[in-house]
Amino acid sequence: MSTIDSILYGFQVALTWQNIMFVFIGVLAGTVIGMLPGLGPISAIAVMIPLSYGMPASSALILMAGVYYGAIFGGSTSSVLLNAPGVASTVATSFDGYPLAKQGKAGKALAIAAIASFVGGTFATVGLMLVAPQLAKVALSFGPTEYFALMLLGLTAIASLSDGSTVKAFISATVGIMVATIGIDGQTGTQRFTFGSTKLLDGIDFLVIALGLFALAEVTTLIISRKESLFKKGSDIGSLKITKDEVKEMAAPVGRQSILGFFIGVLPGAGATIASFLAYITEKRLSKKSDTFGKGNIVGVAAPESANNAAAGGSFVPLLTLGIPGSGTTAIMLGALLVVGVQPGPMLLTDHPDVFWGVIASMYIGNIMLLILNLPLIPYFARILYIPKGMLISLILIFCFIGVYGVNFSQFDLYVLIVFGVIGYLMRILSFPAAPFILAFILGGMMEQSYRQALTISNGSLSIFIERPVSLALLLVALASLFVPLILSKITNRNNGAKAA
Amino acid sequence: MLRSMDRKVSLVIMALAIFYLTLSYRLPKFAFTQVDADVLPLGLGYLLLGLAVILFIQNKPETEEQKEKRTLKKEDLILLLVTLGALILYVFCLEFLGFVISTIIFLSLTMRMYGYMNWTRNVIVSLVFTLFLYFAFNYLLKIYLPQGILPF
Repeated sequence: MSTIDSILYGFQVALTWQNIMFVFIGVLAGTVIGMLPGLGPISAIAVMIPLSYGMPASSALILMAGVYYGAIFGGSTSSVLLNAPGVASTVATSFDGYPLAKQGKAGKALAIAAIASFVGGTFATVGLMLVAPQLAKVALSFGPTEYFALMLLGLTAIASLSDGSTVKAFISATVGIMVATIGIDGQTGTQRFTFGSTKLLDGIDFLVIALGLFALAEVTTLIISRKESLFKKGSDIGSLKITKDEVKEMAAPVGRQSILGFFIGVLPGAGATIASFLAYITEKRLSKKSDTFGKGNIVGVAAPESANNAAAGGSFVPLLTLGIPGSGTTAIMLGALLVVGVQPGPMLLTDHPDVFWGVIASMYIGNIMLLILNLPLIPYFARILYIPKGMLISLILIFCFIGVYGVNFSQFDLYVLIVFGVIGYLMRILSFPAAPFILAFILGGMMEQSYRQALTISNGSLSIFIERPVSLALLLVALASLFVPLILSKITNRNNGAKAA
Repeated sequence: MLRSMDRKVSLVIMALAIFYLTLSYRLPKFAFTQVDADVLPLGLGYLLLGLAVILFIQNKPETEEQKEKRTLKKEDLILLLVTLGALILYVFCLEFLGFVISTIIFLSLTMRMYGYMNWTRNVIVSLVFTLFLYFAFNYLLKIYLPQGILPF
C-alpha cells in the first residue's frame, strides 16, 4: 500500500462515529486536565485509561493520543492566563504569554498559542506518517540483541528527564526497574520479592504506579493550593484578533520550530519540554527584537508552542514503530496499549494497520478540533478554571481508585496505590523525578527478557551485543543520547540563568 | 554532616539497596539457564548502592525552590494526613459497604474538608457523580464495581 492509500484507510478508521467521539472526548479531557496547574499529561492519560477497557485497540490509542496532545494544548492556556503552566512543556510559553496577558492581550496570546500549536501538531502528524513506516521496515529485522540495545537507548533518555540532579533521576529509574522485578520471573518461574504473597505473583500493575506516582501525588499539590482560586472572576481576556503583520512575523519561527520540534520529539528522552525551551532560546537569538523577549513578544509564545506540539507528535514515532517509549508520557501510552492487548513495535504496521493509520489520521482530526475548541471558544473554555478545587480534588481521587480497581478487582491493589501515592509525594518534595521511574518500570521487564534471550542465543557471550552492527550502532547512540541532552539542558539552564540575571 | 537532606535520603536509599540485595542473594538458583533470575536484581542492587553513595558524596546544596517545596504549613500537613487516613478507610469499606455508599460518604466529607462548604450542593454532586459512575461502569463498560450491601 502506498502512503496515500494507507492514510485514506486510516481516515476510514478514524472517521467512524465512535472514533470521532473518542478523539473529541480525548482532546476535551486532555485540554481540561492540562489546564489545571499541577496535573500533567501523564496523569491525564492515566486517569482516562479505565475508560478504554474493552475498547478496540485503535479507539483506545486514538483516545489516549487525543488526551496527550490535548493536554499540551491546554497547558498553554493556564501558562498564559495564570502564569502557572499546567504541564512542564508549556513553561516556556509563560515567559512571554503571561506578560502579554498582563498587558490585557491574553486573547491574542491564546490565539497565537492555538494557531502555533495547530501548525506544530499538524506538521508532526505529516512527519509521523512519512517517517514511521520507513523506520518500521528497518526494525522488522531486529532480534533480542537489537531490542536490548534499543531499550537501553530508551533508558538513557532518563538523563534528560531529570530536573536538576541526574543522580536522582537514575536512582528513580533503578528503583523503577526493581519494582518491575517483583513477581514470577518469566524465564525460570522463580518467585522474586513476593514475600510469599500470592497477590504479588503477577507483579504490580503499571496503572497502580502511574496513578499513584503521578495522579495521586499531583493531587497533593491541588490540596495544598486549595484556597487559591484558579481564575479571578471578571478578568477580561481581550480580543482574539491577530494582525497580518503579526502573522508574517510568526510564520518563519513557527515553521522552523515545528520541524525542529518534531525531530527532537523523535529522539528518545528529548521530548516536548526540551523542544519548547530550545525553540524559545533559538528564536530569541535569531530575533532582531530579542530584548522584547520575556516582556510579551508574540514569537516567544508561538515558537515554544509549535515546538512542543510537534515534539509530542514526534514522540509517537519510536512508540509506534519500535515499541520503545522515549518519555514518561509515551511509556504510559505503551502500558495502555498492552492493557488492550496490542504490543507496539515494527509488527504493529502489518498486524494492526487500523491502530497505526487510525491514530495518525485521528491526529489530523484532533488538531482541527483543538483549534476550533481553543480559538472561538476560549473565553468560555477558560471558565473551566472556575470549578471549585475542593470538588475537583475529591473527584480525581475517586477516579484514580476506580481505575485501579477495574484492573484486577482487588482491594490489595488499592492499598498498593495509596502506598505509591505516598512514595510519589515524597519523591516530589525531595526532587526525585517520577518520569524515569515509570519509564524504567515499563522498559525494565522487557529489557531483562531480551537481554537473557540474547545471551541464550550467544551461549552466554556478551560480545553478541557489539558483533551485530545495528546493536552496536544503537549502543553508541545510547551513549550519545546520555550526553547530548545533558549538554542541551546545560545550555538551557545557562540561558535561563542569563534571563533571570 | 547529616544536616543536608540529600545525605539523609541517600542513607535511606542505601538501606533499601542492602535490603534488596539480601533478598536477591536468597533467590533460588536454577541450573539450566544462561542468565538466572537473580542476575538483574543483583546488578540493580549494586547499582542503587553505588548511586546512593554518589548522592551522598555529591551533597549538592538545596536551592531555595527545593526547600520551599519541602516546607509545609501545619494545617496542610494535617489535611494531607487526614486525606491519607480517609483513603485507607475508603478502601477498607469499599467491598463490604459497596461502591455507592462508601463513595457518596467519601465524596461529601472530603469535598467539605477541601473547602467546598455548601452541604446541599455537596451531597447532590456526590450523589449524582457516584451513581453516574456506578451505572456507567457496571452497565456500559461491564466493569463491576463492588455492590456491597445494596441490592443493585
